[in-house]
Amino acid sequence: MPVDRWSGLWSLALGLLLLGPSLAPGYVLSYDMVWVPDLSLRPDFLGVGSALPRAVPSDAVVSVVDELLPGWLLQKVVLLGSVVGGGWGVARLLRSAPLVARLVAIGVYQWSPFLAERLVLGHWPVLLGYAVLPWVVLLTDRWRTERRFPLALGPLVLIGSLSATTGIATAFAVLIGVGGRRTRCNVQALLLVIGANAPWLVSGLLHAASGTSDPAGARLFALAGEGTLPAPLTALTLGGVWNAEVVPASRDSFLVWVSLAFVLVLGALGMREARRRLPARMLLTLVVLWAAGLLLALWSWALPDTVAVIAEHVPGGGLLRDGSRLLALCAPLLACLVGLGAGRVTATAALAEARPMVAGGLVLLPVLLMPDAAWGAGGRLAAVDYPDSYAQARALLQSEAGPTGDVLLLPLSSYRRPSWNGERKVLDPTGRYLPRDFVTSDELVVSRRTLAGEDPRVVAVAEALSAENPEQRADLLVEQGIGVVTVDNDHPAQVPEVAGEVLLDTPELTVLGLAGAEPPEPPGGWITAMTLAWSMFALVPLAALGRRLLEWARRRRPVPGE
Amino acid sequence: MTTSGIAALIATILVGGAVGAASVVGLVNSQTSAPGESPANVEQPVIDYGTQS
Repeated sequence: MPVDRWSGLWSLALGLLLLGPSLAPGYVLSYDMVWVPDLSLRPDFLGVGSALPRAVPSDAVVSVVDELLPGWLLQKVVLLGSVVGGGWGVARLLRSAPLVARLVAIGVYQWSPFLAERLVLGHWPVLLGYAVLPWVVLLTDRWRTERRFPLALGPLVLIGSLSATTGIATAFAVLIGVGGRRTRCNVQALLLVIGANAPWLVSGLLHAASGTSDPAGARLFALAGEGTLPAPLTALTLGGVWNAEVVPASRDSFLVWVSLAFVLVLGALGMREARRRLPARMLLTLVVLWAAGLLLALWSWALPDTVAVIAEHVPGGGLLRDGSRLLALCAPLLACLVGLGAGRVTATAALAEARPMVAGGLVLLPVLLMPDAAWGAGGRLAAVDYPDSYAQARALLQSEAGPTGDVLLLPLSSYRRPSWNGERKVLDPTGRYLPRDFVTSDELVVSRRTLAGEDPRVVAVAEALSAENPEQRADLLVEQGIGVVTVDNDHPAQVPEVAGEVLLDTPELTVLGLAGAEPPEPPGGWITAMTLAWSMFALVPLAALGRRLLEWARRRRPVPGE
Repeated sequence: MTTSGIAALIATILVGGAVGAASVVGLVNSQTSAPGESPANVEQPVIDYGTQS
């Protein structure tokens, strides 16, 4: 399904302008986005560790795919794909519309506050889901009307299901897009999304005992207003992330009101065109997705206490806490309507002589309303290299003479501001760089308020660290299966001393070895359950291919009597 | 000047003005706004995940 040349080029140009320096060789490390040269597959990534499966299946998928591409290059492909893929998708949705409509829709989709804010926050699986959403709408519509399974849908649904929230959004889009009177098609769609989401679903069920979240997070992570724009109106412009640190400065100015007027006026103008140019059933899918995304976001803002109750008592309920994350569902309809509205404005007969200028202005407007998103969010996203000490530590743990057991990351806090990363915040990257399962704090501190974590192993390790002397701490850590302790020397916090052999001591990292540790074995039942879950996940593209081959064989079968 | 020419001129001025104003304000805003956070200090060693809007 090719995209026309001008749409493709405009989308690519916007992608390059948005990402800028983050596409240089090296690793972009920002908040939750951690990429390393070679991510090793380990039990935690497969969902059988002690922590909730927050990075299942994304980490496991990366650890397999980075055997084909170096980690830094894979990250560039993911970043550019997650920015450009969605733009191409909306251009395909509007393939019968004028060029200006497609170009404006691309701008609205790719230069959106949602994308810019989630990019800095490092939510790359969410952005991949955002990128595949228009394609899912397009392909499910084709599946329903042509009664043939589109081969590309299988891989796209997998890409859109690399995290729990994204998987839910993609599954919802598939089910709404396919949903109809054909039971067989509905069942197949259901099996498709269950398979794509099986790893985190099954792992989540296995962790149900520790699957509830700190209710205080519901209020902290709720949909928020930007600048002087109230939260509900901010949501209409695809903004509203909870974290003020990642909101572009332009969104704190009156430009948010101009953005609101831009999407409301052009969106309203585009409604009639949408009814004319988009198939009615596809338009219904887009409207349902938009309404669901907006309602869920508004729910987190209007009734955070109800979200808190669910997060506190229902395993997995914490997925609802980040209210604005599901605003991704609103983006395809919004981009289409605004694009079609722009097309209608430029088609006005009265504009005959000024049409090129008006069209050019409208195409550029999404960028000009949020200019500081350009060039890696104004330099906030930049590629860096890890210090050599990380590779030295990894080599130590890979050698046969190295200590056994899992890794403990100290200080026991989640986030770092490494000097070698320009003091940009990032989830401690040490654990992912090293080749073993690791224990790290899963507490989150937001506006100086601490949200409790869920991993019982972190609690046990924290207790071990509170023992009276370094020898006792080491013994208790070994009992917890910890054989390696890394200390981030770049972090200002004091670290309790642990008695162990110093294996590496550099300005960035100190690595201690503790003798006699054995990592905990996951229960046999967990391994069986997760093997089934991963088999279902892997079967999604294969089953899709098999289904297509079956259809092909049926069409080739000679009809009796002919 | 014809009616359509006048309408085109007005539309051009409006769109051009909006684009120009948006560019200038956006650029000035992005260059002059205060930093979103203070640097870490040793008295507050825990690093926040973020700041609530």
